[in-house]
Order: sequence, then structure tokens, then C-alpha cells
Amino acid sequence: MAAPERHGSAGQALESVGRSVTRLVDAFGLGAHLFFQSLYWVIMGRSRGQRVRAEPLFAQMMVIGVNAIPIVSMLSVAIGVTLSMQGINSLEQFGAQHQVVFMVALSVTREFGPLITGILVAGRSGSALAARISTMVISQEIDALKVMGINPVRYIVVPALVGMMIVLPSLTLWSIGISLIGSALYVAPQIGTTMGAYFTQVNASIDADDLAHGLAKSLIFAVLITIVAVVDGISVKGGAEGVGRVTTSAVVHGISAIVLTDMIFVFMTTG
Amino acid sequence: MTHAHAPQQPVIEVRNLVTHYGERRILNDVSLTIRQGEIMVIMGGSGSGKSTLLRHLVALEKATSGSIKLLGYELGELNQMELYRLCRKIGVSFQGGALFSSMSVIENIILPLHEHTDLDRMTMKIMARMKLQVVDLAPFEDLMPSQLSGGMIKRAAIARAIVMDPALLFFDEPSAGLDPVVSSALDELILELRDAMQMTIVVVTHELDSAFKIADRITVLDKGEILTIGTVDEVRNSSNERIQNLLNRRFEEEELDPDEYLKRLMGQT
Repeated sequence: MAAPERHGSAGQALESVGRSVTRLVDAFGLGAHLFFQSLYWVIMGRSRGQRVRAEPLFAQMMVIGVNAIPIVSMLSVAIGVTLSMQGINSLEQFGAQHQVVFMVALSVTREFGPLITGILVAGRSGSALAARISTMVISQEIDALKVMGINPVRYIVVPALVGMMIVLPSLTLWSIGISLIGSALYVAPQIGTTMGAYFTQVNASIDADDLAHGLAKSLIFAVLITIVAVVDGISVKGGAEGVGRVTTSAVVHGISAIVLTDMIFVFMTTG
Repeated sequence: MTHAHAPQQPVIEVRNLVTHYGERRILNDVSLTIRQGEIMVIMGGSGSGKSTLLRHLVALEKATSGSIKLLGYELGELNQMELYRLCRKIGVSFQGGALFSSMSVIENIILPLHEHTDLDRMTMKIMARMKLQVVDLAPFEDLMPSQLSGGMIKRAAIARAIVMDPALLFFDEPSAGLDPVVSSALDELILELRDAMQMTIVVVTHELDSAFKIADRITVLDKGEILTIGTVDEVRNSSNERIQNLLNRRFEEEELDPDEYLKRLMGQT
């Protein structure tokens, strides 16, 4: 009797893996479809009588960007100061604590600025978008849009996607600046230099490529956060419990997508 | 009971509609014709396929086979843009209202105008207020959907559905969740809409009193098949045992097979 049970359990495990892979492929396909549909409506919307309107776009930018400035600023200062403390502590062992500016400027611009901002926005706005869309699915608001002749991708996804693609790089730029100010406030007295000298050294440490690297990543993160949230949102099942589930999964999936993409991006651009 | 309106040319023609969800057949060879200006009630017990049929009629779902002609357009042959244009000629009132929770009542009603016309904001507001007066909700235009009662939500949804002056109006369970007084008032409103605006109206319901009150004709669905299509009197006096079971409200109890239900729930059939 043992053998069939083992086979049964192995079969179930295999079936479960198969289902997960199928779901993942489905989600990727749906995400790609939504992204290209969004591009289509951005380009063709006006000529198709379904133009993308400015008001919802500005509303999204306000929610994703402007309202996030205080928390992004606070975390960015903390990151800048923490990196500086760790940097000075490590580099002191080699008598190279003056190199901390180079280390902080490069790591904040290329890595921590886009990554921390992306993670924060995924947690804050990705989850909100998933909750909004899943609630709309459950309360038939998406169906209502369709029967009114309004394309839901154009009406809901495009403002969120475009808003995110404008706001996330801007927030990242802001985060980099604030992190460096935080770092300067800590580092300047520690290594006996001035704020002006600190930023002169920052200017010498990073170039346009480093900034482009960070901003390009944040643009990719913007697409990932939005598409993951939308895919999770429209896959909702059940009522309020389902909304809670997709909201959580949007955060987990969004952050996972950001971190993995970051690794791939760094591998491809620094190899 | 037949209303004074003379039946005219067909505006909805459903031919041999078949729909499957996975292995399960939801609609089986459904054919019906709905004429201009009539109120057609689609009636049936839970799981009879009436809501699925409605979703097909408003192009929210595609059938496995068969055809639907709406206002002379074959739905299956329309591309997306043509379908969106056709959607402007229909209005749908969903079971739960489907009002946008982030918008006030009047913003909900303005939305189709805002999206499909170039009217200025003031004109859109005036048009929306006219529809709000029709459904007797004028004083509540600035409230949010969460501040409305069930009956008010349905009325606001109707105002939104008629704001583009559609030729066809669809209702999904208009009486669901309402007390008899509010439900009766809503029935009156549906009749008024037909009389005042000459709309063709399709109502999906399982409420017999409501169906008998408003229908010109009734389509009775059971297990995805049409049992009969006829006037209220024809349906009432039908000798078909399944129809009589439905009318006597014994339908759902008799049809509920626990094993079958659990299998369906697990997706095994």
C-alpha cells in the first residue's frame, strides 16, 4: 500500500508544481498583454475616441508621488546616514574613511535610491492599486465600464502606469538627493570636511551614466509595480477576504519582482 | 397581462446560443427574440443560466457557439471599437448597482457623458440632474455611494444607465436585496422608463411578483434551456410541470442535489 501512496503524493506534488508554473506563465502573459495594451491606448486612444485624460493621470501622480514625499524623504535620510556610518566604520580599518563619499554617492545613486524608493512605492501604491482594482472587479465596476463602452485598461491601468513611470524616477531622484544630504550631514563633521567639499567630491564620484543607471532601473520598477498590482488585482476571487489576499500578494510579488529585476539589470549592465 | 405598446421589429435576436464553463454547459441552444418597446423578463431559479445569458446579451462574455444580434449588429462580428460604439446605445443596471465608490452620485452619472461626448461640464451636469429627477434622487447628487441605501443605489445605477438615452436597457435582479415597498417602486420606475422613453427593457429576475407586474413577455430558463417564452398569462397557465414548480417556488429546493453542488464547487463536473 505504501508505493501507491508515495506515487500519489509525488503525483500531487508534480501537479501542484505544474499548476504554479501555469499560473506564473499566465500572469506573465497577462502582464505583457496589459503593458502593450496600455501602450496602444496611450498612442491610439485619441484617434479611437478613447483618449487618456489628464485628470486621472494627475490624480495618480499626486497619490503615488507627492503624497509619498515625506516617507521617501525620511527613509532616504536614514539610508544616507546608515550607509555613511557603516562606510566610515569599514573604511577606517584601511585608513580610507575619506573614500566614504565615493562609496555612498555611488551606492545611493546606482542602487539604494531606486531600490528603496521602488520597494516603498510597491508597498504603498502597488497595494493600493491592487486593492482598488480587486474591489472594482468584485463590485462589477469593471463590467460597468465595459458596458458603458469604456476600455478598462485605458481608463484604469494607463493613468496608473504612466503616472508611476513619471513619478517613480522623479521620487528616485529626490531620494538620491535627500540620501546624499543626510549622508553629508553625518560625514562632513566625522571626516572634518565641509558640506560644499562633500558635494564637490560627490560630483567627482558619480557621472551621468550612474544617474542614468539608477533612473533606468526606477523606470523598469514603475512598470513592474503597476503591472504586478493590476494582474494581482484582476485575479481576485471571493469577497473582502480576496481583496485582502491580492493586496498582500501585490506587495510580495511587487517587491520580489523589483529585487530580482534589479539583480538581473545589474548583472547585464556591469558584467 | 399585455401592455398597450404594440410589439415592433426585433432589437435582440439570440440564435442557438451555447455556453460552456469548462466542461459544464451553462446555456444550451438558447434562442429568443426581443421586440422593440417591450419588457422581456428572463426568469429562472439559481443556476438556471439567466445571469449568464444577460452577460452575453451585453457583450461581457462570448458564447461557445450561436449568435446574438443587438440593434441589427451581430455581436460576434464586431471589432472592439465597434462594440464600444454599440455599448453607447445600451444601458445596464447591475445587481449591486456597480457605482464607482470613489465618485459622488452625480459624477457616476456624468461619467458616460464625460467619456463619450464633448459637452461642457455644466451641460453634462444639467443632463445628469434630469436623469436624477427621473429616478427621484435629485437631492442626493453629492452623496457618495457608501452613503446611499440599497434602493437609492439601484436608482442611481438606473440614472447612470439611461444618461446616454439608450435604446436598450438591461436590469440584473433589480429587486434583489430590497424590501417589498422599495422593490415595487422600482418596478413602477421600470414601467415609467419604458412608457416615457420608449426603451426596450430586459430584466433578469427570480422575483415572481416583480416579473408578473412588469413583463410584456417572460422567458423561463431552467438548467440553461428555455422552458417557455410567453405572456404573463401564458406562463402562469402553463401546464409544464417544471414551470409550475418554479412558479410555486419549489424549484430550487427540488433541484438542489448536495453531491452535484459539491462536485460543481470543486470543479469536477
